[in-house]
Amino acid sequence: MLENYLPVLIFLIIGLAVGAVMITLGFVLSPHKPDSEKLSPYECGFEHFGDARMKFDVRYYLIAILFIIFDLEIAFLFPWAIVLTEIGMFGYVAMAIFLGILVVGFVYEWKKGALEWE
Amino acid sequence: MEWLNTSIDWLTLLFQEWVVVYFQMLPEALQTVILIVLKIVVIMVPLMLSVAYLTLAERKVIGSMQIRMGPNRVGFFGYSLAGFGQPIADAVKLMFKEIIIPTGANKYLFLTAPLLSLGPALAAWAVLPFGEGIVLAEVNAALLYVLALTSVGVYGVIIAGWSSNSKYALLGTMRSAAQIVSYEIAMGFALVGVLMAAGSLNLGEIVNAQRGDYGIVSWFFLPLFPLFVIYFISGVAETNRAPFDVAEGESEIVAGFHVDYSGMAFAVFFLAEYANMILIAALTSLMFLGGWLSIFPASWIALVADIPVLSWVVGDGIHWFFAKMSFFLLLFLWFRATFPRYRYDQIMRLGWKVFIPITIVWLLLVGVFVIQGWFGLGAA
Amino acid sequence: MGFENIVFYVFAGIMVFSALMVITVKNPVQAALFLVLTFFSCAAIWMLLEAEFLAIALVLVYVGAVMVLFLFVVMMLDINVARMRAAFMQYLPIGIAVLVTMAVMMFMVVNQIHIDAPGRAAANYNNTRELGLVLYTVYVYPFEIAAVILLVAIIAAIALTLRRRPNTKHQNPDLQIAVKRDDRIRMVKMDTEEKK
Repeated sequence: MLENYLPVLIFLIIGLAVGAVMITLGFVLSPHKPDSEKLSPYECGFEHFGDARMKFDVRYYLIAILFIIFDLEIAFLFPWAIVLTEIGMFGYVAMAIFLGILVVGFVYEWKKGALEWE
Repeated sequence: MEWLNTSIDWLTLLFQEWVVVYFQMLPEALQTVILIVLKIVVIMVPLMLSVAYLTLAERKVIGSMQIRMGPNRVGFFGYSLAGFGQPIADAVKLMFKEIIIPTGANKYLFLTAPLLSLGPALAAWAVLPFGEGIVLAEVNAALLYVLALTSVGVYGVIIAGWSSNSKYALLGTMRSAAQIVSYEIAMGFALVGVLMAAGSLNLGEIVNAQRGDYGIVSWFFLPLFPLFVIYFISGVAETNRAPFDVAEGESEIVAGFHVDYSGMAFAVFFLAEYANMILIAALTSLMFLGGWLSIFPASWIALVADIPVLSWVVGDGIHWFFAKMSFFLLLFLWFRATFPRYRYDQIMRLGWKVFIPITIVWLLLVGVFVIQGWFGLGAA
Repeated sequence: MGFENIVFYVFAGIMVFSALMVITVKNPVQAALFLVLTFFSCAAIWMLLEAEFLAIALVLVYVGAVMVLFLFVVMMLDINVARMRAAFMQYLPIGIAVLVTMAVMMFMVVNQIHIDAPGRAAANYNNTRELGLVLYTVYVYPFEIAAVILLVAIIAAIALTLRRRPNTKHQNPDLQIAVKRDDRIRMVKMDTEEKK
C-alpha cells in the first residue's frame, strides 16, 4: 500500500518546488529599486493609516465553526458510501438517523438566522 | 531515406548502450525515484502548457463573445498565428518585473503563500487517471486525497492576505476564505454521491463503474444530475472565478488577497487559479461524464472496429477525456463572459441555503437507489 | 525498510521541530501555521502506519477546517504579547498539572496494552472499506452519539457567537421571490373624463 503513496509524496515536493523555482528566478532576473512610496501597502492612492490587522465581524467565525461540523459529517460519510451495498438497510438507517440529527441542527441555525448575511 | 534509418539505428544503439546501462547501474531505490520523477514531468509539462494557453483561450473566447479580436499580434518568427506567442511573452515579461515586498509585510510568509496555492493544485494530478490504468499513483483513497488537497488550498489565500499587511488584501482574504469553505461542504456532499454510486474511492474504478452498453446513458451525470450541477458550480466558486469572484472585486477591493503581489509572485497565484480550473474540469469529467469512455454505445464501437482511424476516434480513449475537459473549461470562460458578479450575501445564501439542503436530500435518495441495486444495471 | 525509516525520521523531525516552534514563536499567527505543519507531518506518519483513511481525514478535518478557524480567530485578535508573558507564571501550576496528568495517562495506556506490530498490508488493502464495515454496524451507538455531540456543537456555536444587528439594511430573497403582482400594483377602474 505504501509504495502507491511514494509518487504522491514526490509530486507534493515537486509541486511546491516548481513554485519556489519560479519565484526565485523572478527574484534573480528582476530589478530591485525600492523606494518608500513603492513599498507602501496599496490603499487606493491614500496615505495608509492605522494597522491593517483589524477586528472582523463575528459572523466569519460562526461560518468557520459550522464548516468544521459539516466537514466532519463528510468525513463520516466517506467510508459509509463505499460499503453501503455490504451493510445494506441497517447501515442506511444508521446514517439516516445520523443525518437526521444533524439536519435538526441545520434547521435550527437556519431558523435562528445564523445563515443570514445581513 | 537511408541516412534517416541509419541515424535512428544509431540513436537506439546509443540509448541502449549508454542510457539504459548506466541507469541500471544506479541503486534500485534511486531508479524508482527517477522513473517517478520522469512520469511527473510528463504530466506537469503539458499541464503547465495548458495553463498558459488557457489564458490565451480565455482572452480569445471572451473576445469573440464581445465581438473583439483578442490578442492577435505576438507570434513566432514574424507570423502572428492568432496571437499564439502571447502567453510566452506574458510569462517572460512577468519574469523581469520587480517583486515588491511591502513594508510591514512578513517576508517569509509573503513569499510562501503563492507556493501553498500552486502546490496542491498541481499535486492533485498524482491520482488522476488519464486512461485505463494510466495513472501515476494507484491509490485507494484517491478522492479523499483530492478533497483534502482542495481544502489545503485555502491557506494560500489566508496567508497571502494576512502577510501583506494591507486592508484591501485582508478584506479580500476574509471574503474568499469564507466563500471557499462554504462551497467545500456542497462539494464534499456531491463527491459522496459519486462514491455511493461507484462504491469506490479510486478514480479509475469510478470511471469504470460508468461503463455500460449504451455509452452516454450509463454515465453518472444522469442519475446524479443535481449533484453534477452543484459540484461544477461549487468548483467555479472554489476557484474564485466569475460570477463568484467577489474576492477579486476590482471595483471595490481591486484584486483581493493578492493586491500587493507583483512579478513572478503574482504569476504563481495566477497559475494556481488556472491550474485549479483545469483540475475541476478534469474531476468533473472523471466523476460525472465517464472520463475516457466513449459517448457511443458499445455496439457502434464494435461496428467500426475494423476501420483504422474511425475506430480510434469512436472508441474509448484519452481524447474523450480531453474533449470533456475542454467543454468544462469553455463553460468557465463562458460564465465569465455572461454572468454579472454575485453579491456576497447572495453567494453565501446559494451555498448554505440552496446547495446543502439539495445535496442532503439527494444523498438519501441515492442511498435507496444503491441498496435497491439500481446502479450498474447497464454495466458490461 | 531503509527508505521508510528515512521518511519516518524526516517527518518526525519536522513534527517535533514545528511543535516546539508552536510554543516558542512570538507571533500567534506563525504559531498557528507551525501547528498546521505539525498536523501535516503527523498525517504523514499515520500514513506510514498504513492508516490511509485517518491520515487523509486528519489533513481534511484538522488542517483544512479546524486550523482555518484558529487562524480566523488568531488573525483578528489584538494579542498583547507582553501581558501574556506576565500571565505565564500565573498559569504555570495548571500547565504542569495538565502535563503530569497526560503523561501518567499515556504511561498507563501504553503499559497495559501490548500490541504486536502488524505485518505489511497488501498493495490493494483498503483501509477505508474496513473502517466502514465496522463503524456503521458494530459501533453504531458511538456513531449516533457523535451526531448528538455535533448537534450540541452547532447549538453552542450559535448561542455563543450569533449577534443580531437590527439596524442593518439587507434584502430577503425569499420575500422578493414570493412577491405577487397584486402586492405591487393596484388596478383602478375609473371613468373616462371629458376634456374641459
